[in-house]
Amino acid sequence: MKHDISFSINGERVRLTVHSHQTLLEVIRSELELTGAKYGCSTGECGACSVLLDGEVVNSCMVLAPEVDGAEILTVEGLSGDEELHPLQKSFIDHHGVQCGYCAPGMLISAKALLSRTSRPHEEEIREALVGNLCRCGAYADIIKSIQVASRARR
Amino acid sequence: MITRKPHIIGKPFPLVEAQSKLTGVSCYAGDEPFGPDLLHARILFSKRAHARVRLRGVEQARRLEGVAAVLTGREVNARLGARIEDRTLLAVDEVTYAGQPLAVVAAESPEIAMAALATIQVDYDDLPAVFDVEAALAADAPLVHPDMTAYPGFDQVQAQPERNIAHRVLLQRGDVDAALADAAFVLERTYTAAPLQHAPMETHGGVAQQRERELMLWLHVQAPFLQRQVIARALHIPPQDLRIITQCVGGSFGSKVFVSVEALLAAIARETHGRPVRLHLTREEEFQAIFMTPAMRARVTMGLDDQGRIIAMRAVYDWNVGASVDAFILEMQRIALAGTGPYAIPNTDIQVNAIYTHLLPAAPMRSLSIAQMHWAIEQHVDELAEMAGMSPLLLRQRNLVKGGDQLFSNFIMHANGLESCVLETVRAIGWQPERDQDPSGPVVRGKGLAMGWSPIIVSPHCKSRVTIQCDGDELCSVIVDGVDVGQGYYAFITQLIAFELNLPIEWITVHPTDTGNHEPDWQAIYHNLLWSTGRALLQAVAEMKRQILSYVSEMWEEPMSNLDIVEGEVISYATRRRLSILTLLQEGAGEGEPPVFRATGVYEASEQDDRLENILQSYAATGYAAEVAVNLETGHLTVLQLAGAADVGHAINPEGVKAQLKGGIIQSISLTLLEEMQFENGVPISIDFMSYPIATTADMPQKLHPIVVEIPQSTGPYGARDLSNHVMVGASAAIGNAIYQATGVRIRDLPITAQRLYDALRADS
Repeated sequence: MKHDISFSINGERVRLTVHSHQTLLEVIRSELELTGAKYGCSTGECGACSVLLDGEVVNSCMVLAPEVDGAEILTVEGLSGDEELHPLQKSFIDHHGVQCGYCAPGMLISAKALLSRTSRPHEEEIREALVGNLCRCGAYADIIKSIQVASRARR
Repeated sequence: MITRKPHIIGKPFPLVEAQSKLTGVSCYAGDEPFGPDLLHARILFSKRAHARVRLRGVEQARRLEGVAAVLTGREVNARLGARIEDRTLLAVDEVTYAGQPLAVVAAESPEIAMAALATIQVDYDDLPAVFDVEAALAADAPLVHPDMTAYPGFDQVQAQPERNIAHRVLLQRGDVDAALADAAFVLERTYTAAPLQHAPMETHGGVAQQRERELMLWLHVQAPFLQRQVIARALHIPPQDLRIITQCVGGSFGSKVFVSVEALLAAIARETHGRPVRLHLTREEEFQAIFMTPAMRARVTMGLDDQGRIIAMRAVYDWNVGASVDAFILEMQRIALAGTGPYAIPNTDIQVNAIYTHLLPAAPMRSLSIAQMHWAIEQHVDELAEMAGMSPLLLRQRNLVKGGDQLFSNFIMHANGLESCVLETVRAIGWQPERDQDPSGPVVRGKGLAMGWSPIIVSPHCKSRVTIQCDGDELCSVIVDGVDVGQGYYAFITQLIAFELNLPIEWITVHPTDTGNHEPDWQAIYHNLLWSTGRALLQAVAEMKRQILSYVSEMWEEPMSNLDIVEGEVISYATRRRLSILTLLQEGAGEGEPPVFRATGVYEASEQDDRLENILQSYAATGYAAEVAVNLETGHLTVLQLAGAADVGHAINPEGVKAQLKGGIIQSISLTLLEEMQFENGVPISIDFMSYPIATTADMPQKLHPIVVEIPQSTGPYGARDLSNHVMVGASAAIGNAIYQATGVRIRDLPITAQRLYDALRADS
C-alpha cells in the first residue's frame, strides 16, 4: 500500500509517496539521499540511525515512513548551519569524540536531544543518554567528554 | 591564513577527517551515490556446517523480472586465499561451514534480489562435522580439508591434513623437561577464550563496476593491495585490470583486511554489462557469514626456581580457526613470538597450532589473540606467585625481559617500557598484593595487574610508498598506500609533513588509497603503518624540501645552504630574501608556469623469507591494572577502574594515543565480560546485538586511566612505535587477577559472564 506523506526534515518541507513497509531510515537514505543516518542493525539495537522526530531521539530503522506524516525530523545534516559547525561537532573534533566515525551522527543526535532537555548534564546523565548508541571503537570516554565540554561552552 | 602550530609533533592533533565524518558525509558502505543505474547484490549463504549441496531453481531465479545476473559455483569455480587458498568463492557440491557463499544475485532492487535468492532451493545432505578442537583432533574425526595438499599455497603452512591440523609454529630453546625437573615450583593449567565477532558498526559492503577493461571496486577495507591481489587471482584477471578505491572504513578491527564478500561483489559486477552493483550486508549476515575470531585453548606449564626465577615454560596454544587458516597464518607467527609473555625464560617450548573445524573462517582481531594468550600467561604468573608465596609484582619484575636480552626467538630486545608500564598502572589504581579491606557485605573488591607485549612485525616483500605533490591547485596533496580506519593515520601524515616542511596544516590533503596509483604487484604494508609509512614519508619530505629549495636557489642564484623553509616561506639566511610558497605555487616566480613539485619516498621490507627473526621489528609493551567489585551472592561484576599503559616510543599525537588506549580499555572490558560467539550445530546463533551484546556506556568503569610511556624506538619516526594494534594486551588478565583477589575464585575461561562467575562462586562455597 502507498501513502502520500509530507514532513519537515532539517527545516525543509518534503512530500513523498512511500510504501507501508518502508522505514524512515530507508526514506531518508534512498529517497532524500541524506547519508548521515547510518544502517547498523535494522533492529533498533545500535543507534547508528538515530534522528530527532519531533524533538525525541528515535531509531529511524524502527519507524515506519507513513508514521512521520506531519512530523519534524532532524538528521545530523541539519545540525550545523551553512557556515558554522554546531558546538557539539566542534567539540567532538577537538576531544577525539570520533574514531572510525560510523556511530558519530547517531551520537551527535542523542547528545543534541540531551542538551535540549538538560543544559549542563552530569557525566551519569550523558552515559544514560548514550546507552542506546553503540561505538565499537570504544570511544565512549572521549564522546562523553566532548559533550560535557560543549555543554559548558554553550553560555 | 597561516595557523601552523610551532610544535606539531607531540601536541594534540585532531583526526583530519573528523569534520566530514561528523557532518554526515557519504563515504561509508551503502552511501555511494550511483544513481538509478545501480543494481543491488545479495548473497545466498549455507545454513549447514558440513553437507553435500545441490542448488535447484537457479534458472528460474535468472529469469525473474528485474534480475540482472546470478552466479553459483558452477559458473565461477574459484578458490580464495592470500597465502593458502583454503576457501571457495562459491561452494561447489559441498559446504564446509555455515555461512559459506552458495550464490550471488544482482537485481534492480534489494527486494528483487531477495526474491531471486528465495527462488533458489538448497538441498543439503548432511555430513559428519566437528566444531571444537577436541573433536577435530580425535582419532576418527571427519576431515575438514582432506584435499588441502592440492590447494595453491599449501607450501605456506606446516599442516597435517589427516589430523585437521592446518598450521603449526614452534619455538624451542634449551631443555624444558630438565629445567622443570629441577624447578622448586611447577604449575600446569589450562585457559580458554571463546570465539568472537569483530562486529564493526559498518557492515561489509561496497560498489563494483566494470568499465571497459577495468573492474572498479569502491571498498571500505583496510588492505586494498592485498585484496586486489587475492580477488584478481580468484577471478583470473590481471591485477592491473582491477582497481580498488578505498572509502571511509566504519570500523574494521581486522575483519576488513582479508577478502570476504568483496570477491563476490567483484565477480557479479563482471556479469552486469557495465552497470554498477552495490552490496551492503545486513547485521545478521555480518554475524553469520563474515569471519569469527578463533577460540583459544592454552595449556601452560611454568617452572620457578627457589630464587623466584622462571626457568622453564611449556605452552601449547590451540586455535579453532574454523574452515580456513589463511587469514590467521601471519598472526600465528606473532603469537609464537609473544609466546612466553614478556619474560626472559632460559628454557622454552612454545607450540602454536591452528585446528580446522566446520565453523566460520577465522581472522585476527586487533591484538585480540595476543591479548587472549596473555589472559593465560598473566593469570598463570599470578597463580605461580601465590604458589611460591611471592608478590605477583615482584615475580614479574624479577623475570621481565630487558633491553639487550637475547630472546627465545634469538631477537635482541630493544630498550622498552615494560617495567614503567606495570609500575605506572599499579600506582594509578593503588594496587597492593593483598586485598585492602574485609568483606562486610555481599560485595567484595579486589585489584589485579597484568603486563603484556605484542610483536610488531613486517612481512617480507611488503613496501610502503608516499608521494607528495605541491602545486597551485591542491597546494600539498599526499598519496599513501595505507588506510585510516579511525586510528589517526591521516592525522599522523599531516602532522609529519606540516612539521618537516614547515607548512600550514590546512594546505595538506591526504587522499584515500587508490590501487590505481601503484604498480600492479605493489604489496603495501597494512599493519605497522606508523613505522613503515613514517620511514617513507621522511624520505619524501626530505626530497620535497630539496626540490623546493633547489628551485628557489637557482632562481635567486644563491647557494641552497643559505635557504630554509619557515612558516610557509622560503627564506635566505644570508640575503634575508623571502618568498611565499603559496605565491610560488599559485602564481610562479618570474617568467613561465608555476612549478609543480613531486617527491616520493619508499620503504621496502627485506626480501628475505618470513622466518620469525626476519619479520620481527620490535615489541609494543603494555601494562594493565584493574579494580573490580563482585557481588558474591549474584556473581554481578563491576569494573570500578581500569588503568592501561602503553610504551609508544614517542607520542606524536598524545591525545590520539590516549583515545586509542581508552578505546582499547572499553573493547577489552567488552570482550572480557560480555562477548561470545555462539553456534548450534555449527550455525551461528549470535546474530545481533541482543544475542551478542557489546559494551555500551553502561559498561564503562567509573575511572579510566590511560597512561602513555615513552621509551624511544630508535628505528621509528621520531622514536615512535605503533600502538593501535596492541592496546588490548593484558586487560583481561588484570580483570581475572582482580576477581581472584576479591573472591579467591580463579576464572580460566573467557568471557567472565555473570553466569560463569556465579557458577564458580557457588562451586567454591
